[in-house]
This record gives sequence, C-alpha cells and structure tokens, in this order.
Amino acid sequence: MLAIAIEVGMVMLVVGMTHGLVDDAARRVEGVGADVMVQPPGSSFMFGLTSAPMPVKLADRLAEIPRVQAVTPVFFQTNLSGGLNVIYGVDLPSFDRVTGGFAYHAGLPFAAPYDVLVDDLYARANHVKVGQTLNLLNHDFRVCGIVEHGKGSRIFIPLETIQELVGSRDKATIFFVKCSDPGYVDDVVAAIHQMLPKHNVLSIREYMSLMTSNNLPALDAFVTAMISVAVAIGFLVIFLSMYTTITERTREIGILKSLGASKRYIMGIILREAGLLCALGIVGGYAGTLIAKRVILKSFPTLSVELIPEWWLWAALLALAGTLMGASYPAFQAARLDPVDALAYE
Amino acid sequence: MNNKPLSIIGARWSVVDGRGGGEMAAEGRSPLTSVVEPIIATQGLRKVYRVGRVDVPALRGVDLLVQEGEFVAVVGPSGCGKSTLLHILGGLTPPTTGKVLVDGNDFSAMSDADRTRFRRHKIGFVFQRFNLLPTLTARDNIALAQHIQGNGFNPHRFDAVVDTLGIRDKLNHRPYALSGGEQQRVAIARAVICEPKIVLADEPTGNLDTENSRAVLNMLRALNRSFRQTILMITHNPEAADVADRRIRVRDGHIIPD
Repeated sequence: MLAIAIEVGMVMLVVGMTHGLVDDAARRVEGVGADVMVQPPGSSFMFGLTSAPMPVKLADRLAEIPRVQAVTPVFFQTNLSGGLNVIYGVDLPSFDRVTGGFAYHAGLPFAAPYDVLVDDLYARANHVKVGQTLNLLNHDFRVCGIVEHGKGSRIFIPLETIQELVGSRDKATIFFVKCSDPGYVDDVVAAIHQMLPKHNVLSIREYMSLMTSNNLPALDAFVTAMISVAVAIGFLVIFLSMYTTITERTREIGILKSLGASKRYIMGIILREAGLLCALGIVGGYAGTLIAKRVILKSFPTLSVELIPEWWLWAALLALAGTLMGASYPAFQAARLDPVDALAYE
Repeated sequence: MNNKPLSIIGARWSVVDGRGGGEMAAEGRSPLTSVVEPIIATQGLRKVYRVGRVDVPALRGVDLLVQEGEFVAVVGPSGCGKSTLLHILGGLTPPTTGKVLVDGNDFSAMSDADRTRFRRHKIGFVFQRFNLLPTLTARDNIALAQHIQGNGFNPHRFDAVVDTLGIRDKLNHRPYALSGGEQQRVAIARAVICEPKIVLADEPTGNLDTENSRAVLNMLRALNRSFRQTILMITHNPEAADVADRRIRVRDGHIIPD
C-alpha cells in the first residue's frame, strides 16, 4: 500500500512540479504585460538559452510601428550562484511603461548600478531583506527593493550593468512590445515581421501556447522517465509482496481448493486484494501528494506545484495497471498450486 | 466388507456385506440394501508418487464400495495410503491408474477443473488440523463454503447446521479464540453447510482430547443419522473407528480383510 502511495505521489508531484515550473515561467512572462515579444533570429522560446545579439536601439524603431504603445529591451542572463535563475537586466523606465510598474513590498527602485530588485517569493525563500548584499554573476549587489512577484523574473538588475558584466554593451536579448490595444496584436506582429523578417516574433498568446512540457523535449522525456521509474517501483513491490503473500498463504489456498474454489476464484480473490490495497494506496498517495505540495511550497516558495486534474486519474490508472500486472503472476501461480501439496504446507 | 472386485464400472452394484441388514439395524447403524448404486466405487486404484527418480507407490490396487448414507472408518498405520485414498476420493489429486466413481462420476476421466467443480458441490472435507482460515470468524469460515459454491447464503441451512453442532454462540469468534473442539465443529459445519453427498474426514479427532473427540464423533454420527450423510473417516483411534458403520483396514496401499 505504501509503495502504491509513493508511486502515486511521485507521479503526481513529478508531473505537478514540471507543469508548475513551465506554467510559472510562462505566467511570469505573461505577467510582464506585453503583447508581443521580439527575439533574435534562431532563438529559442526558452529564454535562458538565448544569447543577446540585438542592438538596444532597435527599440526605437519598434516604437515607431503604428499601434505600439511601449517597447522595453530586456537582457536575460542565467545565474547559477544561489540557485538557477534567469536574471532580467531591465531599463526600468521603459519596463515600467510596458508592465505598469512594480508593486513594492519594501524598498525603492534602482539608485545605483549594482542595485538589485527581487520578488517577494525569492526574498521569502532566501530570507532576503532590503539593504542586504546578494552575490550575482560573481559580483555583489545591494538589494534595493522587494517587489510583487509575477513580472518576468524573480531578480532584476539595471540593463547597463548586466550588459557591462557580460561584455555585450548596448545589446538586448528580447524586446517586449505593448500594443495600444490587444486587438492590434496581429497587425503589430505582421508589421514587425515586415521590418525584421529574420527575427523571431511571437505574440504572448502564441508563446503561452508553446510553453507546455510537451513542447520541451528534454522535459517531456524526463517526466516520462520519472513516471516509468515510479510505475516500475510499484510493479516490483506489488509483485514481490504478492509473491511473498502467496507463499505465506499456501495452506489457505489449499483450504480454498479443498472447498472447491476454482482457479478463477483464487486468482480473483488475490487480484481483488491487490486492487483493494492499490485503492487504499491511491487514496494515501493523493493525501501524501497534497501534504507534500504544502511542505514543498512552504519550504521552497519559488517552486510551483501544479496538480493537473487529469493526472489524478492517470496516476490512479498507472498504479492500478502496475498493481494488476504485478499481482497477476503470483495469482496465476497460486491458482496452479497442487491442493494436496498446499494443504501439507507448513 | 468384503469389497468384491468390480467387473464393470458404472453398472449397478451388488453389495455383499458380512452381516445382514437386520443385524446392522439392531446395532442402530445404516442398513444396506441388497442391490444399490454405491456412492463411492473404486477399482484397481493405484497412486504412485515420484520422489526424485524413485517411484513411491501409495496405493497398489484399491477396490472399494461405499453406499450412500454409510459411515465408514478407514484405519491403518501411518504411510499406508489412507490420506492418499481420501485425496483421490475428494478429487484433490487424480489416481495414477484405476477407476474412481463418486456419485456416478468417473474421476479418472475428469479434468482438474471438473473435479474441482464436483468437489465444490458434492464433497466436504474435515481435517485433523481444522484448516479454518485464521482471519475469518467462525461464521465467515462456514459461509465461505456457500460463497465458493455460488448458490448464495442459505440462512435456513446455516441455522440448522449451526444449531446441530452447537456453535451459535461462537460464530463471531476467530479460530484463535476457539478451543480445538470448537474449531473442529466449525470445520464440520463448513464441510456440511453445502449439503455435500460425501464428507471426507481426515483424522478429525487427531488433535483433540478425549472429551472433544467424543463430542466431534457424536456430531459426525448425528449428521450421518439425521441427514443420511455419507462419511468416510480416516482415524488411528479405535474408539473413533467404532462409531462408524464399518471399518476398512488399509496396509501397504491395499485394503485388507478384517
């Protein structure tokens, strides 16, 4: 039962954390408030994988396109110190025009080149306070403010600073474009395509549709591998425990046979017992998943666990299938026991 | 008895007993009719077990007739083949050679599944070690036989059997909470609840003290008299064998005359 609970919990949490990770990243980009994003030719919609070859001055040309309300250049840089994060290098005035501005929980906007803004979840997870020093990209930054989460990244530093640190002066990784009205998104995308035919231009709507774990091949393979491991564990534990159970109950099986129980009857009761254990394990797994989710979110506020409704069913079906497969062979062996030998079993 | 070799399996049987029906009736035992269909008939029954590369014969040609309603004791030393005979008559294992007719069904020609089906409806077993399922109450152990039979729970039959065996107040107890005698009475109830044609008892008093042995034997006797229940009982106990209508001696895989 415990093995089934662990299997169900593992499947639910792996899928939930994967979906949560991807959805959280997508929602934060959506939270920037832009309608269109412009990336360099050949870039990936996975932001951390993109370099920064676009000149910042391109923002001025994009801003001249009709029905474009605001444009902001952003420089992405993956930071590995203190955890894996994508740092946004932002030009705060234009970023505020696109996003509508940060909501400050504490502190103020950038006042110096080595100031950093972090969101509230990052601050809570890492016990960060305003005025504290953070080491990012091998440099010390002063935390100047803590802002509401949901606007792209969890860490923001000035655009010029990040350009200087990585040696890409006047370059940007992406331009977020805000239209004067969401109804003009297609027109603006078409106009940008015309202006920059080789660049990767995506509406945020398209980006959101691309940001699923199914579109991330490595992630999809990882999820499949983890689910396979969980199912294999469930199968093996059920197989071994049912096999042991059959051995321990050899005499009882002999008694049933002496009463005239058919092979089908004996297989039926063993499979039903396995099914009942599985059902209890599934319920336990559901409960464990909910508890684990709360513990994870409390311990790691920056993580996101999104329990997908259909995966409640899939996890149960996978557990049931593994259980029935694992119990079938022991049940078959039990049904084949010689009744005289079984009755003589000590 | 006086088991004459059978000439043709399936024919009507002439039963020759050393005593007349009047003599048996005077003893309060089931009188046998002169020409009846035996409920159990074996001819040249042999069973050989293979142990490693050695063939070990357990039965070496058993010819046996048992009439419906008889209470027969099978006696003999350990290892003489009594239990093997019981297992074959109960359809738990097939004979190596020979014929076995039980209630008109030829076990030697039946598949394992057919013998299982037959056993379900026609045979009840009582074992020396009671063989109750430890996780079930007495009630559930008894009802289990009805469940396996598939005809559903019959409360009237259940009540009649439970009252006959005097275990009504023990029905909610699990086996570990019952004495040996009580466990064996539950086992007897389980054996007869489905109204089997034959009850096969393998040393039913082997694990009981004198008082409980007597009680169990009296119950088997009562079932035999009240319901004309055919009973074949293996025993080492001469007193137990005396309760039966007649006694069959087995030695070295043969039935030997008294």
